[in-house]
Amino acid sequence: MEPVGIRLQGVTKRFKGHVLAVDNVNLEIEPGEFMVLVGPSGCGKSTLLRVIAGLEEVSGGRVYLGDEDVTTKLPQHRDVAMVFQSYALYPRMSVRRNMGFGLRMRRTEKTERDRRVDEVAHILGLERLLDRRPGALSGGQRQRVAMGRAIVREPKVFLLDEPLSNLDAKLRVTMRAQLSLLHQRLGVTTVYVTHDQVEAMTLGQRVAVLRDGVLQQVDTPTNLFRHPVNLFVAAFIGSPSMNFVQGRVANGSVNFADVTIPLPAGSALAGSDRQVVVGIRPTGFSTATGDGLPTMKAVPDVVEDLGDERYIHFDVDAPRVDTEATRAAVDAKSAEDILLLPEDRARFTVRLPVDTPVTAGQPVTLAVSPDRLHFFDPESGATL
Amino acid sequence: MYRLRKWGPAILLILPSLLAIGVFVYGFLGWNLTVSLSDWRGLRPSYNYVGFENYTRLASDGRFTNSVGNVIVFTIVFVGGALLVGFLLAYLVERRIRGEGFFRAIFLFPMAISLIAVAIIWRWLMSNATGAQQTGLNRLFSSIGLEFLVNDWFKADQPFAVMAVAIAAGWALSGYIMALFLAGMRGVSDDLREAARVDGASERRVFWHIVRPMLLPVLMSAVVILVHISFKTFDLIFAMDAESRLIEMPAIYMWFTTFDSFNFNRGAAIATLLMVGVAVVIVPYIWYSMRMERRQ
Amino acid sequence: MSARVDVPRDLRIRSRWAPHVTTLRYLALFALVCLFLIPVYVLVVTALKDPSQVSPRQMWNLPDVLSLDTFRTVWPKLETGFRNSLVMAVPASIISSVLGAANGFVLSKWRFPGADIVFALILFGMFIPYQSILIPLRQVLSDAGLTNLTGLALVHIIYGLPITTLIFRSYFASISDELIDASQVDGAGMLRTFAYVAVPIALPAFAVSIIWQFTQAWNDFLFGIVVVTRATHWPVTVALNNTAGSQVVPYHEAMAAAALASIPTLLVYVLMGRFFMRGLMAGALKG
Repeated sequence: MEPVGIRLQGVTKRFKGHVLAVDNVNLEIEPGEFMVLVGPSGCGKSTLLRVIAGLEEVSGGRVYLGDEDVTTKLPQHRDVAMVFQSYALYPRMSVRRNMGFGLRMRRTEKTERDRRVDEVAHILGLERLLDRRPGALSGGQRQRVAMGRAIVREPKVFLLDEPLSNLDAKLRVTMRAQLSLLHQRLGVTTVYVTHDQVEAMTLGQRVAVLRDGVLQQVDTPTNLFRHPVNLFVAAFIGSPSMNFVQGRVANGSVNFADVTIPLPAGSALAGSDRQVVVGIRPTGFSTATGDGLPTMKAVPDVVEDLGDERYIHFDVDAPRVDTEATRAAVDAKSAEDILLLPEDRARFTVRLPVDTPVTAGQPVTLAVSPDRLHFFDPESGATL
Repeated sequence: MYRLRKWGPAILLILPSLLAIGVFVYGFLGWNLTVSLSDWRGLRPSYNYVGFENYTRLASDGRFTNSVGNVIVFTIVFVGGALLVGFLLAYLVERRIRGEGFFRAIFLFPMAISLIAVAIIWRWLMSNATGAQQTGLNRLFSSIGLEFLVNDWFKADQPFAVMAVAIAAGWALSGYIMALFLAGMRGVSDDLREAARVDGASERRVFWHIVRPMLLPVLMSAVVILVHISFKTFDLIFAMDAESRLIEMPAIYMWFTTFDSFNFNRGAAIATLLMVGVAVVIVPYIWYSMRMERRQ
Repeated sequence: MSARVDVPRDLRIRSRWAPHVTTLRYLALFALVCLFLIPVYVLVVTALKDPSQVSPRQMWNLPDVLSLDTFRTVWPKLETGFRNSLVMAVPASIISSVLGAANGFVLSKWRFPGADIVFALILFGMFIPYQSILIPLRQVLSDAGLTNLTGLALVHIIYGLPITTLIFRSYFASISDELIDASQVDGAGMLRTFAYVAVPIALPAFAVSIIWQFTQAWNDFLFGIVVVTRATHWPVTVALNNTAGSQVVPYHEAMAAAALASIPTLLVYVLMGRFFMRGLMAGALKG
C-alpha cells in the first residue's frame, strides 16, 4: 500500500453551543510522515483527529486523503485505522476476531484474513493470545491488540489517540521507542495525538502545536525547541519549562532584576528600547567559569538531585510573567492553579551538572550565553 | 449528505416501532377522545359530534362520582401505606445485615405474580362470613383474642371497603418501594457518611442529615409511580369483587359501561379523564427525568 | 465497610448500642417477614390440604396429610389457559426485546437530532392507562380478525416497546462511545455495528428484558379479556379469574388455581431474580 498524504484545508469545527473546537486549521501531512498533534486539553487535537477519521463532520473546510476529497465520507469508507485511548476492543470477541473485524467488514476472504492476522500477531508477539478475550488481557497486551487491529487493515492512514496515556510511566517510555520502530518498518502515514510534549518531541518527525483550536506552529521537534514562534509554544515545549521574566531592552542589552546581558550579535532588537519578556531554558545556564560570559547571582532555595542531573530553583527580583499563554501552556485556569504558595516574583529553574557544588541558601554564580536568550512581545506573545 | 447517510439507516431501523407507537398510543388516544365526544351507544359505532355532553353527564352521574371518591381514598391509603412500609423495610434491610438478599427476595416476590392471584388470596383472607363460616383473618383474630379487629373488610361501608383493598395492593407493592429506597440509599456515597461520622455525628444524625435529603428524588419517583399504578388498578378490583359499588373505581366503571352496557361514548369519556389524571403526574416527571439526564 | 466482616468480633469498632440495635433490627425484620408471608402460608397450606379437611374452621391449621388432589381437580380448568399464555408470552417477550434493543441502541448511540424527544414520546406510552386505548384497540383488532392469541401477542409486543426500549437505552448508554467509533472506523455501518458489536454486548440486557416482558405478559389480565373473544384462546389469568372468580367456588380450589397459575413467573423470579430486579428498577427511570 502506497502511503498517502493528508491535507486539511481551512478546517473548522463548531459544536452545539457555539464552542469553536477547531479554528481554520491548514495542515499538510506528507505521505509516510509521523505527525504529532500536541497541546493542552481542550485544544482541539482529538477533534482534529476525529475529523480526519470521519467521526466528526466539519463545520467548514475540506479534508483530503491523498488526492481524494473525503470531507463528506463516512468513516467506514475512508480506509483509515484508529487506535483509541481506551483501546475500544470488542469485549465479546477473541483477539483474533477483534483484529480481523475490519477485514471481515470489508469482506476479505477468511483464509486471507487469518493469514494477515497471524502475520501481525507475530510482529507484535500476540500469537499466544489469539483466542483470549480482551477481559483476560493486561493493559499492555490490550494496547498491542488495539495496534494490531489497526495494522492488519493495511490502511492509508494510522490515527492514534493518546494510545499510551493509560500505561504506567516506565512502560510508556519503552512503548514510545517501539512505536517509532513500528513506524519505520511499516511506513504508513501516522497522525498521533498526545497532551504530553515529551512524547511529541520523541515520536514526531514533525509536531503540530495547537491551542484553543488554532494551530500555533508546525515544525520539527528541534525547531520547535530552538525557535518557538510565540510565548505559548516556548512555554509548552520543553520540560522543565522555559524560565520567563519581564525585562527591558535598551542600549543593546537586556535588563531584568539586577542582571544585564548584552544582546546576541545580529539581534533584531539591536536598536530598540522597549519592554520584553525574556525566556531562558533551564539548560541555558552553566556555572560561571570566568570565561567572559555574562553572569548572574542566584540564591537557590530548593535543590533537586535526580541522580544524573541537578536542578536548582531560585527567585529572581523581577515581576513574574503570568499571561494567558503561560497559563494555558500548563493547563491552568488561573494563577492559583500553579502555585501552592502565592508569589509575585519570577522563579527560575536551572539545570546544572550533577557534581556542581551547590547547597540551598548558598549563593552561586551562573553564566548565561546571549545566544540562549529568547525574547517575546509582552502583549502578543510573538517572538521578537 | 453526510448527515443523511449517517442517520438514515438508524431512523429506518426504529421506524416500525415509531409507527406502532404512533398508531397504538397516540392515534388511539385521539380516537378515544373522538369517541368520548360522540354519541356512540350500542354495538354499531357512531361518530356524531355531541360536544362535551358525555363529560357533563359524568359530573352528575352518581356512580361515577362514587368511583372517583373511591379512587381518591384508595390512592391516599395505598400510596401512603406502601411508602411507609417500603421505607421501613428499606431502612431495616439497608445496613448490610446478613441475609439481605433473602429479605429482599421475600418482600419482592408479589411483584412476580399476577394481581388476579393476589386478589384471590386476599379476597379470601378478608372474608366477612360470620358464625360457623367465619374464616380468613377474622377467624385468626377471633381465635387469638383480637376480636376487636374483626370487620367486614372490602364489604364494609365506604371508605373502609376501599382501604381494605388498599391493604392488599400495598402488600403487593411495598417490596417494590423498598427496592427503590434501597437503591436510593445505596446511592449516597459512603465517603459522605464516613466524613460525617468522623466529624462526630451519631448514626441517627448521619441518616437524618445526610442520607434523608438525598432520598427526595427517590421519593418523588416512588410517588409518581404509585399514583399512576393506583389510577390504573383494574385486575385487583375485578377479581376481588367486580360488581361491588363499594370499591368501584373509574377503571372498573369504564369497563362495565363500555363492554357490558355498550355505552362506548361514556366509557371513552371516563378513559380520557383517567388519561388526563395520569398525564398530570407523569408528564412533568418524564420531562424532569430527561432534564436531569441531560445535565449528566 | 465490608472489611468489618473480617475483623474478629471483639475487636470491631462499634458504638455502645450497636449489639442491641442489630438484634432489634433482626427482630423487627423477622416479625415483618412473618406478617408478610401470612398470605403465602394460607395459600400453600390450603392448596396442599386434602379436600376433606378443608373447612372455614380449619383454615389456619396445617394439613394433617399432604395431598395434591386439589391441584388435580383444578388443573384441567387451567390447562388450556396455561398453554395459551405460554404460546403467547414467550414469542411476545422475545420479539419485543429485539425491537427494544434496536430502538435503545439507536436512541442512545446514534443520536440524531430529536432522539431525546422521540424517546420521551415512546416512554410516555409506558404510563398511559390502558383504558384510554381499549375501545379503539378492540375495534381495530376485531376488524383485522386478530381477536386471538396472535392479536394478544401483538398487543403485548407493541405496548411493551416503551419499557424494553428504556431497558436497552439505559444499558447502551453505559457502554463506551469509543466502541461504536471503533466499529465505524473498522468499516461497519449502523446495522452491522448493531448486529456484531452491540447485540453480543447486550446479552445481560436481553435477559432482563425478556424476563420482565414475559412476567408482564403472563400476568396481564386486562388485555386478555379485551382482545381475546373466544374462551379457547383465553390466557391463564382469565382462566384463573373464571375458575376462582365467583364466590361459589370452594376456596381451596381457588387457592390451588392461583398457585398453579403463578408457578412459571415465580420460577423465573426464583431462578433469575437478579435480572427481574433490574427490570423492576429500569421502570423507575433513575430520576
